[in-house]
Formats: sequence, C-alpha cells, structure tokens
Amino acid sequence: MAIALNKLDKILKGREGSSFELIEVLQDIQRDYRYLPEEVLRIVSEKLSVPLIEVFKVANFYKAFTLKPRGKHLITVCMGTACHVRGAPKFLDEVLGQLKVKPGETTEDGEFTVETVNCLGACALGPLVVLDGKYCDHMTTAKLRVLIQEVRGNAKKK
Amino acid sequence: MSEYVTLTINGAKVKAPRGSSVLDAALDYGICIPHLCHMRDLTPIGACRLCIVEVVTNGKSKVTASCTLDVQEGMVILAHTEKILKARKNIAEMLVAQAPNSRAIQDIALKCGVKQVRYPFRNDNCVLCGRCVRACTEIWQSKSLGFVGRGKERHVALPFDKRPEFCKRCNACIDLCPMTITPCPGPMKKGEEALCGLCESQLSMAQDMQDSCVDCRLGEGFDCVRKKP
Repeated sequence: MAIALNKLDKILKGREGSSFELIEVLQDIQRDYRYLPEEVLRIVSEKLSVPLIEVFKVANFYKAFTLKPRGKHLITVCMGTACHVRGAPKFLDEVLGQLKVKPGETTEDGEFTVETVNCLGACALGPLVVLDGKYCDHMTTAKLRVLIQEVRGNAKKK
Repeated sequence: MSEYVTLTINGAKVKAPRGSSVLDAALDYGICIPHLCHMRDLTPIGACRLCIVEVVTNGKSKVTASCTLDVQEGMVILAHTEKILKARKNIAEMLVAQAPNSRAIQDIALKCGVKQVRYPFRNDNCVLCGRCVRACTEIWQSKSLGFVGRGKERHVALPFDKRPEFCKRCNACIDLCPMTITPCPGPMKKGEEALCGLCESQLSMAQDMQDSCVDCRLGEGFDCVRKKP
C-alpha cells in the first residue's frame, strides 16, 4: 500500500535538520495519518537527522503514538480507580463485545479503535468514556450502546 | 596532564585521575567490585547495580552504584561491608532469576553468595545491561540498536524489528552480551531453570572468603562439574 507523502512534505517543511522537533513532527503525522507509518518514519529520521532507532523509541514510548493504523473513531475507556468501582470493566466488555476487538485493536472495517487509559483525572465524571476526544460522563451500558450505534449510523449515512 | 585525587576504598588509599569513576579506580588497584553492565570505554548507565558501594560522609553512609560515582578528594568508600554484601547478593539473585541462561550471570551470582533463588525464574534472556546498545551507539557509531518500550515492556530492539541497512554487522552486540555463553550444562528451557551451584569449590570459597574476587570477565568462568563433554 503506497502512502500519500504530500502530507508529510507539508509537515516537514522548514523543519529539516531540527532534531528537537521530533515529537512535534510525530504528533502532526499521527494527526494527519492517524498512525505512524514505517516509510514515513524512515523519511522523518533522514530529514530531521535523528537516528532511526531514536524515532522508533519515541514512537514506542508515548501512548499517543501508534505504529498500527487507527480506526476513524477512537473510543477510550477510563479504567482508573474511581471509574473501576463504578463499573468501568463492564463498559469495556460492552465495547469490546459490540465491536469484537481487544483493547488497542481496530475493527476490521477500520471504523473504531478501542483503547484503555489508566486515569483521565476527571474522576467526578466517572465512569468515563471518551469518544473522539469528546468526554461522555456518567456512562451506562445503555448510553454506550446508543453512542456506538449513533457513530455507526453517521458513518453509514456518509 | 590529568589531575589526581586521593580517596579511600576499603581503608586503602587510592589515587585516581579526576573524572574517573570509583569502580574504575577500585579495579585499577585490584579491589574487586562485582560488575556486569560496566565497560571501561562506554558511558556508565548503572543498570545492573552489582557494583554498589557505601559512601561515608560525616559518619553517615549512603549506598550507591560505584560505576556512576565520580571520584572526589577525600572520599571514603566501603565496598565489602556486610550491608553491601547482603544487598549485592540480593541483586545477583534477581539478575539470575531474570536471566538464568548465562554463564556469566550464574558465575557472578554464585560468587556473590547466592545459594538459592527465591524469585520466580523469568528466563527473559536479557538483563537490560545495555552493553550491546552502548557499544553499538558509542564505539561503532552505528545506532542500530536501542531500548524500546517502557516499564516492564522495556527491551532491546532494532528499528521496526528489522536489521537496518546501516548496521555494520560487527557483531559487537553479540560479543559483549552476557547471555552469549550458556551455563555449562547447556541452555535451560522454561520451567527447568536452576541455579548452577554445584561447583563445591566455588561455593565454599564464596562462603569462607566473602570479599574474595568475583571474576567478572564474562563467561570465562571456572570449569563446572556439570559440564557436558
């Protein structure tokens, strides 16, 4: 699969050789490509003059970066203590069962990626599920089901 | 001209060039401090913690790794106190539990006085000593290897788990790895790991002379009675 590199040219413009901008560049790539493709990272390493292993290390270190393609929609289930006692594992099971994936995986149609997070720091809102950056507070299984269906429905309409 | 400082290690007055580490100074004077991750030409990272020593200042002592400790004028170092020997034994025990498939680590553990391993064997074939990574980066300037992941996921890896084309195939990473030489009875499979402690002479030496030299040259251990012909 060839990857469109024009987006990368835009990201790298004016940043050649500035190794200190590695994380910013990776963030931009993550935003535009929704993951960090290997070919792109190889070019980044060359252009920013950062050793490839360094790029690989940083990409592996931060949870915000992923080396596998992410789905169009990201569902993050908070598994923090406060959310846990209010039933977070149940919601995770619900999401995983509905989408038939494991945590960190993407559905076959490339629509959803499910991730867990240890705490979002918004314990008062728990149990918390984040859908594409939108915080869905006081989650219930029923609400969650509706939420997933809504997103699915929107995707179909498009 | 390098400037020299004088420090005391185990009561012996030792002269060492400023900027060198306590471990190097001790080794130069034949005072053996067990070490695993340390290599003279590489940056010390203090990964294995085997080289811990006590630093005495104003009557108070602090335990720290000697490979990352720079020599200072008038420093008082105690490398073989009871406290240190106990802690070091425990560290060696954990190292051998992490990677029993190494003659070097088995030897060091035995000589540090480990008689049984109380931790579950992980048999991970790596103790994250970073010798390979540092040799690749610093000596060969190849930067083909690195530590990837964090916490318990941390491991040595190649970028994208493929050998990069700029790898010089010098094999320094393999030569320097403490895992290269397996214990004398052969590699241990998962579930049958054991402490290679049948060498009676070594055992009694470790017991009777607690500060005797731990030969840290990797893999060049003594002949083991369990060695397969």
